[in-house]
Amino acid sequence: MSDPSAPIALTAHLALVSSISFGGFPTVLPDVRNFVVSTHAWMTNREFADLFAIAQSIPGPNMILMMSFVGWKVWGFPGAVASAFATLGPPCTMYFGAYRIWYRFRDTSWQRIVHLGLVPVVMGLVIASGVVMARAADTSWRAVAVTTAAAAIMLATRLNPIWLILVGGALGALGLL
Amino acid sequence: MAEIAQDQELAPAASLTALFSAFLIVSLCGVGGGGGIVWARRIAVEKRRWIGDREFADIVSLCQFMPGPNVVGIAVCIGARMRGAIGTLAALGGFLLIPWMIGLSLGLLCLKYAHLPVLRNILGGIAATAAGLLIATGIRLLMPHRRRPSALLFAGLAFTLIAFARLPLLVVLFSLVPLGIAVAGIEAARAR
Repeated sequence: MSDPSAPIALTAHLALVSSISFGGFPTVLPDVRNFVVSTHAWMTNREFADLFAIAQSIPGPNMILMMSFVGWKVWGFPGAVASAFATLGPPCTMYFGAYRIWYRFRDTSWQRIVHLGLVPVVMGLVIASGVVMARAADTSWRAVAVTTAAAAIMLATRLNPIWLILVGGALGALGLL
Repeated sequence: MAEIAQDQELAPAASLTALFSAFLIVSLCGVGGGGGIVWARRIAVEKRRWIGDREFADIVSLCQFMPGPNVVGIAVCIGARMRGAIGTLAALGGFLLIPWMIGLSLGLLCLKYAHLPVLRNILGGIAATAAGLLIATGIRLLMPHRRRPSALLFAGLAFTLIAFARLPLLVVLFSLVPLGIAVAGIEAARAR
């Protein structure tokens, strides 16, 4: 914080890692921690872990928020804004370009084959990340039951999932999980 | 080869305000990792019928191959699909502007009270529910492929390698996807 070039160094580093964060931001989180905790000592390891837990559990664009908290620590509100843009800019440009190309070839037979090969693998990954999340969250058999019930109700009905989230939060607040 | 479920009747292209408000809701409702997929599907596919499940699954898959927060990618792609570059800006704006400000203030507040047990309990209950919702959404998007044994095999492999063998995501993606596409290509050639 004493070094005036700190915000620039952080922003540049975030722009770089966001360009290579294949598989989402959690994959480069260890690197960001090294950068802000070990290399520059802008915050403690403990603070970084707390920020992560909070970013995970509040609504909104979690990982962008996580990086904004880090920016906030280094340079206040402008730092938070700069970090958000650095985290977002490069990936958004790539998403947009890739989608334009994909959409241009939407009716080709090879794209149908890519779809048939690609989608099942990705959905296996999505289900797996749900299970990985559940493993971290479900610390009791009652929590496992909540996860299972949420999945079953979501599959069987068209109920708005916000009700399930509210019930889950309420059960937690009552200390039942 | 089994027939893939046909997409239902789609709505006409969305207005910019509709894109903005839809992704505002997606962003605010998506708690915890992966929440964006749950809510983007719920709103863009089920409620507004902007795109079908098949196109949605394509967008999710495409975003997996790119760096960055995948959920943001879903907003970028659906915005682009509906209204081009300006649609992307509307969807992104809805996804980010207000939720970012709320999240930042909420987060800085939470940081102060992170030690309170009640807060931890509520967050724990929400996390357990959110995990179930994510699992259900993955299963839903896999359903159109359920009659193809090779699709189920690849989904099962991907699931096992991540959830149990705990291999890095990139390794799994870049080893299984080319194989999966090759098998789908062979099946298509045989069906002809």
